[in-house]
Amino acid sequence: MTFEDQDFYAALIHELKNDLILLSMTIESIPATGETAQDQPIEAARLHCQQVVDRLQQALLVYKATQKSFHPRIDAYSPYELMASIAARAHTLAHDRIDVTLDVDPDTPAIWFFDRGLLEMALMNAVQNSLRYARTAIRLRLAIEGGALALCVHDDSTGYPEHVLASVAADEPCHATGTGLGLKFSRLIAASHDNAGRTGTLRLCNDSGAAFCLLIP
Amino acid sequence: MSLPVFAGSDELIDYSALRALVVDDYPGIRSALRMTLSNFGVTKVQLVTNAAEAIFQVKQQKYDFILCDFNLGDGRDGQQLLEELRHSNLISIETVFMMVTAESYYEKVVATAELAPDDYMIKPFSADILQGRLESILLRKRAFREVYRLFMAQDLEGAIAACDTLIHTQPKYVVDALRFKGELFVTLGRFEEAEALYQEVLRLRAIPWARLGLARSLHLQSKNEAAEEELRDVLEKAPEMMSAYDLLADVCVANKDPFAAQAALEQGVAISGKTVRRQQRLGEIAHANGDLQTARTAYATALEKGRHSIFISPADFGNLCRVQIEQGDLDGAADTLKKNRNTLLATAEGKFVTAVTQSVVHTHAGKLKEAAQALDAASELRRQGACGDPNLMLDLAGACMASDRFGEADGIVSEVARNAHDSESLLARARRIYDDAGRTDAGTGVLASATTVVRKLNNDGVMLAQRGDFKSAIDKLMTACEEAPYNPRIMMNAVWVILKFVEQSGMNESMLDQARRHLTEAERQAPGHARLAGLRLQLKEVETHFGVYRSRPI
Repeated sequence: MTFEDQDFYAALIHELKNDLILLSMTIESIPATGETAQDQPIEAARLHCQQVVDRLQQALLVYKATQKSFHPRIDAYSPYELMASIAARAHTLAHDRIDVTLDVDPDTPAIWFFDRGLLEMALMNAVQNSLRYARTAIRLRLAIEGGALALCVHDDSTGYPEHVLASVAADEPCHATGTGLGLKFSRLIAASHDNAGRTGTLRLCNDSGAAFCLLIP
Repeated sequence: MSLPVFAGSDELIDYSALRALVVDDYPGIRSALRMTLSNFGVTKVQLVTNAAEAIFQVKQQKYDFILCDFNLGDGRDGQQLLEELRHSNLISIETVFMMVTAESYYEKVVATAELAPDDYMIKPFSADILQGRLESILLRKRAFREVYRLFMAQDLEGAIAACDTLIHTQPKYVVDALRFKGELFVTLGRFEEAEALYQEVLRLRAIPWARLGLARSLHLQSKNEAAEEELRDVLEKAPEMMSAYDLLADVCVANKDPFAAQAALEQGVAISGKTVRRQQRLGEIAHANGDLQTARTAYATALEKGRHSIFISPADFGNLCRVQIEQGDLDGAADTLKKNRNTLLATAEGKFVTAVTQSVVHTHAGKLKEAAQALDAASELRRQGACGDPNLMLDLAGACMASDRFGEADGIVSEVARNAHDSESLLARARRIYDDAGRTDAGTGVLASATTVVRKLNNDGVMLAQRGDFKSAIDKLMTACEEAPYNPRIMMNAVWVILKFVEQSGMNESMLDQARRHLTEAERQAPGHARLAGLRLQLKEVETHFGVYRSRPI
């Protein structure tokens, strides 16, 4: 790719993002009417829009990885603030259809070291999945497990299908779609965090619903 | 250091009281952002399209919160806007500045905290995230209120103590407080303590700003090999970290390896060529290295990218023309002057650059009559008080010499030499001008007498002061200041001696006034010099001691 082509690509992406930000802000500004026939399609549009945002971010991440410029940007952040902002977005997207709660373990440190943008991306992906499949509730959880920061999204769905669990665990090449694709990204994001010889992991299991857990050393 | 345990906060923010400025070149986004802000109560919102409009607005009234897109179309980008606002003290440390940006932004702006935005938002984002980020910054600024107050009152020691209080009582802000404290150490010239602090942060994690801070404090202690090693490793892992290239160039210059310095800046410019000051520095170093083509491109790019930047001065036009003339491209130099005529003729400094450069162009073209006219104009401007940077003054001296105006040429060279008695490169260039004119002996005489007088006065002054005879030391150094009114080293020595004298023998308002004036001039001549912060602090201590302290406008 020549330099000019890259500039052109960047300009296109810039426009695409502006269009997307306008679209999502416009949808957010539509007030609820209380009539299901009116509100339900808007809610669906809201969720789809968030999904397009997520996919665009994933596409950019892949692009950066192919350009060999994919490094996590580690700095000190408040895990609580990160999770609270995820909870607020989940709450907005859920629109009273699903109950969203955040549990913070009292041992959780005031600051931790991670790439905020990447963890947001992974967690929002998990929230999206849960919003689609949860029956009534999503529970976000923040804790310390074995010296790593655990950032978890639980729901009361029927849980992950076996083949998804198996494919993520086996790290199969990327011909997954939908849920599987997002999970592969989350695994990549967790693995990009390392500290003192330990590497971050994604733990998926079914525990009275789907349980998605990023463990960041 | 173990990490502190989470403690929640339930402080409230009154969003309706906030005055916000939104900077974005895309009209739809501007109004969407206004709507987003109003969703959580921020209703006092001003919208602008570009950096120039933003600067205009900020000069009109105080804003609490600036939300700025990084990409602002053809003009300056958001980072350049931020640097200009901070450099001209148009926004205080209490103003929240958030950048809206693409993914690749973070490394590009890892710099001193002063020049970094308070946070950045990656597009697209929702109102919830924006509110969450804004709230956490406002709460942080609230926690840092005492630190900022002391910092703005120039009580840096007090600010360090306030950082320590935060470190011990507010676990959430430990890292932020350490970062601010590190920069206070550097400002105060306490580089060893800064080094230890950054090492402490790095034991927690290899955070990029801490690695840069460590490299900077090593460099300031002249541990340049260690600094270089650190920077090369940083750049291997994060090649987009722009300020590492700038610092690496400084380190290479200190290691007397100007070609490596040029290489570092060229790498930086290849990744991000918009920063005016990086291009200026590249031009300067490439010129000194004799790489005229690189110097020309860099100076020309600085002017092109910085068309409305506060970092551009008439001297930049002079620099570009000088390189063009050395390349033998007289038409190019004349063209540079012609294209920028309106800008240059708007100020006395610009008129002076024009007259001097024209005289050099005409001299090289053999048009002696036109050269004489331009020299007359330059002399007249000098009489009226116009003054240029040392290189421009040497250009003028060279042109005078070629027109047989030896007296004027000698006077100018002598003035440059007195003001830069310890600058090898300027003195060498002055010598070359005499060699080229076939007046080598005359040059040796002029330079020797100019530098000898200043050097002797300075050395005598310092020696007397070391013996404790501050009164006589002041006499010597004041005379040196009169001989060399723009020599930063002499002025810093004079300030140091005056402060010692006042400390010892009591208040002397007129002396203290001299110290204030010389320190301000030294800060103008050698911004960022390692001794300045210490002297500023000492001055403040003396003023406070005698009850005459006035805080400077921030």
